[in-house]
Amino acid sequence: MELFSEIYSCYYQVLRHLLCSQDTLTIQDIRRQICGEGFEESLLSIIPKLEDGTWNLFEKDGKLYRSRLSSSFITPVSDLEKGYLKALLADPRIGLFLEKEQLEALNKMLALVAPLWRPEQFYYFDRFVDSDPYEDENYRNCFRTLLQAQKQNRYVDIDYTSPNGSRVHHHYIPARLEYSVKNDKFRILALKPAQPAKDLHGRRHRQGQTGERMKLEILNVSRIQSVKLMQKTLSSPVDLDAMIQRSYYKEPLRLRIVNKRNALERAMLHFANYEKNTTKIDEDTYECLIYYNKNMETELLIEVMSFGPMLTVLENERLLSDLKARLQRQMRIVPPE
Amino acid sequence: MSDFQELVKSFPKTREYVRDFFVYGFKTRDEFKDKSPRTYDNERRRLESWLGDYVRKDYVSSGSNISLAIDSNLLDTNPLFRVWKTKSFTDNDIVLHFLILDLLQDGAELTVEEITGRLLEEYEALFDIQTVRRKCNAYEKEGLLNKSKSGKTVVFSIDNSLALWIKSNEGVLDALAFYQMAGIFGIVGNHLSEQLDYYNRTFRVKHSFCVHTLEEEILLDLLAAMNQKIDVHLEIKSSKNGTLNTADCTPLQIFISTRSGRRFLCGYVKKGKRFTCYRLDTIKTVVPLDQSNEYEELLARLDRNRCYLWGVSFQGNDRSRLNRLTMTIQALEPSEQYIVERLKCEGRGGTVTRIERNVYQYEIEVFDCNEILPWIRTFTGRILSLKCTDKSVEQRFYRDLQTMYQMYQI
Repeated sequence: MELFSEIYSCYYQVLRHLLCSQDTLTIQDIRRQICGEGFEESLLSIIPKLEDGTWNLFEKDGKLYRSRLSSSFITPVSDLEKGYLKALLADPRIGLFLEKEQLEALNKMLALVAPLWRPEQFYYFDRFVDSDPYEDENYRNCFRTLLQAQKQNRYVDIDYTSPNGSRVHHHYIPARLEYSVKNDKFRILALKPAQPAKDLHGRRHRQGQTGERMKLEILNVSRIQSVKLMQKTLSSPVDLDAMIQRSYYKEPLRLRIVNKRNALERAMLHFANYEKNTTKIDEDTYECLIYYNKNMETELLIEVMSFGPMLTVLENERLLSDLKARLQRQMRIVPPE
Repeated sequence: MSDFQELVKSFPKTREYVRDFFVYGFKTRDEFKDKSPRTYDNERRRLESWLGDYVRKDYVSSGSNISLAIDSNLLDTNPLFRVWKTKSFTDNDIVLHFLILDLLQDGAELTVEEITGRLLEEYEALFDIQTVRRKCNAYEKEGLLNKSKSGKTVVFSIDNSLALWIKSNEGVLDALAFYQMAGIFGIVGNHLSEQLDYYNRTFRVKHSFCVHTLEEEILLDLLAAMNQKIDVHLEIKSSKNGTLNTADCTPLQIFISTRSGRRFLCGYVKKGKRFTCYRLDTIKTVVPLDQSNEYEELLARLDRNRCYLWGVSFQGNDRSRLNRLTMTIQALEPSEQYIVERLKCEGRGGTVTRIERNVYQYEIEVFDCNEILPWIRTFTGRILSLKCTDKSVEQRFYRDLQTMYQMYQI
């Protein structure tokens, strides 16, 4: 079983799509497909092979290319993939996706397959202990409704218990389901129609045809008491990534890292999940910019603090003052000898 | 640059380059000391070709450098999966792949001779029987083809029932979309869902560390050894100074940090008679050795010891077996109850006791209390006392705190 194998290669994937096309293709169609799916220089390798017939996979009719393959072509599932699927069947979260009958059917089809791994072969030593209740029927129902709504761009009516214990009831569109590996929890990145701005007379006016203004909220799935799928759908697409990027502070966190106790590598790996940019200042000193938003603020501060004096916060003022406040408080409660 | 090829034969060299660019992303051409400038140029060009959308170029005084700018909050897939899709192949490989699989799509059972003949008849593709046989056998090994005997003749066929079943069950496709982002061997889930033309538009992963996909080949070898209960010989390149070392051990379990994504092999080293953890990203090769005679016994021993691990270290500074750390903190009631929850949730089995109003004590006994310090520091601002039977840990905590007071002029 090879993980790095040509059968999974990008070129095979591009070719499969071209070959399964029902229509005859021009060389321009082929180029377009390669540019869209291949690597930046794939065109240079693939086109000559098709043009000179070295890859004799198309019948040429003048300037048109017709696939020699049947349109129902499907690549069989490899042993590696079967072993992967079998391993997933032992994961507690699989019940969020598959009904009992589907699980039984898949198990039956994979009866003779050895799983690629078993859960007990892995140990997550720093995972938080209050993971989501994946076996809970209400949780599963909520999850499935949210999943359906997300895929169909539909509104949901959510009854939610906020962290401070109060019950809230709102209409949202689940933009994404977000999983935290550390917390072993699902959250939804939910779009909520924003209140229209008030005019001079204190009246709110609806937006025009361009659709509603949305704001992004994050809700823990385990805090959702009930969720109902609504008929209403999102009227115009929302660029979620642009919303997230707009939410980042204009001034990133600027850190100075002195490379002692292997701090540089540790920091680079630790902050690898943030968008960052690192520059070498001198032999042992580096500067790293980290982009983040309000939602990430406390977590980022805690992560920075965990490095102790190995990292120095240079900017921004916001995070720097939070850090200093914590140090001042520490100094007050236990004054240095 | 005339010999430049976009695809590569083997993964290990690529793995190192991608890791360097991704993890550090500040090295200029001159700083890749171990490699020739030409190798650097070719690797850099490949990286730009594979991961163009994520490549950022910066110009610094010592030259230009490229890095990978990846924001995991915006990802519907792991961009580094593309690195796994770069294996080179021959002209025969790709042509035979499509033609043989197409020929057998209808479930027919054919001999190699029949396949060879029909490739010529139906696809005008001339191959010698040996080449077709080699490909069929290779695909049988990968599980793409079934090989069986019909009388005395060997026949090959395809069973597409699983692929078709998955394609028609959206729940499985959703599961693949999720697990490729969040689980072990995400790359395999990605291969499979791409094969079925299903792409993730639903799931995001917080605390996702893309770079660790590069270790999955090593992980596959280690799991194979663990499943067979055999010892392994490891070649390890130190992350601190780049020196090469070797180690022989019994591979027992994979430890994963959810906070950094780092993965470790926990193995038993017979020579030193102790458990040791090796970071997967430092392991270069895994060579299988002999069957371990005491595998189950070692697993049971590891099970008994695991509760005394904070992270991956089985031995502290003072080499004593166990050390006790006690931290007393201030958490105002009821407004700061979340701090007490943090102690319980993140404290890895340590006990949490309410000492008096607004004061809580956290206590734990582990092999190496040094490993707890990063977590302890996250409570800065409310630590009333820290005591440890390994005095160096206590000293280091207070010394670091002093240094921070000076750094920030407190």
